[in-house]
Amino acid sequence: MSQWIDGNDGVYVVGIGMHPYQFPSDTPYTHLGLTAVRAALADAGLDWKQVQSAYVGTTSIGMAAGRVMFRHLGSTGLAVTQVENASASGSFAFRQACMEVSHGISDVVLAMGVDKHGDGRRAANKDGLERLSDTATVPAVKFALMARSYLRERGAGIEAMAKVAVKNHGNASLNPYAQFRKPRTLEQVLASPKVAGDLTVQQCCPRGEGAAAVLLVSGRALRRLNLDPRRCVRVRASTASSERDETVYGQGAIDLVRGTAQAALAQAGIAPTTLDLLELHDAFSVEELLYSEAVGVCAAGEGAAYLERGDSRIGGRCAINASGGLIGMGHPLGPTGIGQIAEITRQIRGEAEGRQHPNAHWGMAHMIGLGSVAIAHVLSAAHA
Amino acid sequence: MTPDLSTLKPQRPSLYRLAADGHSLDFFFTHCPACQGLSFPANAPGCMHCGHPTEEAMQVVRPGGGTLLEYVTLHVALVPGMQAPSIAGDIRIAEQVVEEGVIAVDDESRLQPGMALRAVAVPLAATDTYGCQFVLAQETTR
Repeated sequence: MSQWIDGNDGVYVVGIGMHPYQFPSDTPYTHLGLTAVRAALADAGLDWKQVQSAYVGTTSIGMAAGRVMFRHLGSTGLAVTQVENASASGSFAFRQACMEVSHGISDVVLAMGVDKHGDGRRAANKDGLERLSDTATVPAVKFALMARSYLRERGAGIEAMAKVAVKNHGNASLNPYAQFRKPRTLEQVLASPKVAGDLTVQQCCPRGEGAAAVLLVSGRALRRLNLDPRRCVRVRASTASSERDETVYGQGAIDLVRGTAQAALAQAGIAPTTLDLLELHDAFSVEELLYSEAVGVCAAGEGAAYLERGDSRIGGRCAINASGGLIGMGHPLGPTGIGQIAEITRQIRGEAEGRQHPNAHWGMAHMIGLGSVAIAHVLSAAHA
Repeated sequence: MTPDLSTLKPQRPSLYRLAADGHSLDFFFTHCPACQGLSFPANAPGCMHCGHPTEEAMQVVRPGGGTLLEYVTLHVALVPGMQAPSIAGDIRIAEQVVEEGVIAVDDESRLQPGMALRAVAVPLAATDTYGCQFVLAQETTR
C-alpha cells in the first residue's frame, strides 16, 4: 500500500554534510552551519541555487537563524523555516522537509540542524505553575529515576547500563564528527563522577555545539538531476507523536518510543528485526537498553543481554548508535537528529570508513524531545 | 532553636500552606467537575486527566504526602542554589498525580518504594519563607 512518504516518486537523501560536534566555543554558528551545508551540497553535487526550501532545526541561537546564515550562500529567495522541538528539533526539521518533497511542493529541500550551547531555557519553566522540586524539569533526574527502577525491576547491576557507554564511546572514537574521540573502559565509565543516582558522567551526553545537513530530493527530480542512485538513500517512513497520560509509573517515555517506532516500521512495511542500524536517544545510558526493547530489535527484557552478546555492536545483528550516539558523538540539540540521518545514510552507502556496519540496508533514526515528543524515520538503500 | 513556622510565608503559595499542627503541609488540588479527578497544582488551566477547563473547578485541600515510587541521590547541584548531595523522589500525592519532591533523609538506604511520606515545612535560610520537603510518615507521628 502506498504511503504519503512515497509521494512525488519518493523522498531521497542525496547529500550529507557535518561540522564536527564540539565543546562550546567562540565559533559563530554561521561557520558551523555553513560548513555542514556546503559539505552536503558538494556531497550531492548540487548547487545552492537548486535548493528550493530549507528547514533549520535549532534551540538556542535565536530568531531567524537560517536567513542570517544562508545569505552567505547567496540570496536565492528560497523558503526558510526554523523548527524548534528540544532534542528532536533536527528530526522534526527533517520530517517537514520530507513532507514538502513528498507532497510535491518542492523537489530539492535542505534539512539542517545547527546549535550553540545555550542557557537551556525551557517552556516548562515559563508556564506560570510552581513545582514542589526545583529539579522537576531536569532530564538527568527523570532518567536517573528511570535507571534506578530499571535496575531494581530487572535485578541488574550498574555494569549493565555502563556497558552502553563503553560501546558508544568506542563507536564515537571511530567517528571524525564525534565530540568524544576516546574509547572508555568499563572501569573508567563506572569510576567517573556520579551525577544523579547510578548515572556517572560518562553515561550522560555532553552539551556542545555543531551542525549537520542533509539534502532531500524527490524521485522525480532524482532522474532529472541525473544523481547517482547508488549514493541515494530512500526515506521509507516518518512518524511523530507526543506523550499520553502515563498509566503505569515510569512507562511514559518507553510507550512513546514504542508507539512511534512501531508506526514507522508499519509504514515502511518491515519487521524491527529487519533493521541493520538504529540511532536512538541515548542521552543517558539506560535509555538505550529500554528503547532497544521498545523499538523491537530485541525482545522485552532482553536489552542488556542483546548488548552483552554483542548484537548491538558494529558487526552485530543491529548496530545501535554506530555513530557513538548522544553519549559519544554528542548532543548539540538542533543538529542531533540530522546527524542521525547522516550517519545512517553514510552507513547504507557503505562509506562509514573505520566503523562500517556490514551489509547495512535498513536503518531507523529515533529521537525524543524532553521526554514528551517522539519521532522516527526509517531509511533504506534506494532499491532495498 | 526551631523557628515558629507560622511567622513565615510559603515559598510556593499556589501549592501548599502550613497545616494546623504548625509543621506539616496541606496541598491544594482542584476537583474536576467532568472526570472527578484531582489536579495539581490547583492553578493549572486545565484538568491534568481530561483537559476540562478548571476555572469553575472546586479547590480541595488535602494533607500533603503520598507514596514513594522511586528515589535517587543527586550528587551534584543540577540547578543554581541547589544543595548537593540531596535526595529526589517521585511521589504519588493523589490518585494518578505523581510529583517529584525533595526527601529529607540523610541516606537513601533508609528508603524503599511504597513507603508513606509526609510533606513538612522547612525554613529556608536567609529568607522569611518555608519550603516543602518529604519525610517518612512514621517519623512525623512519633
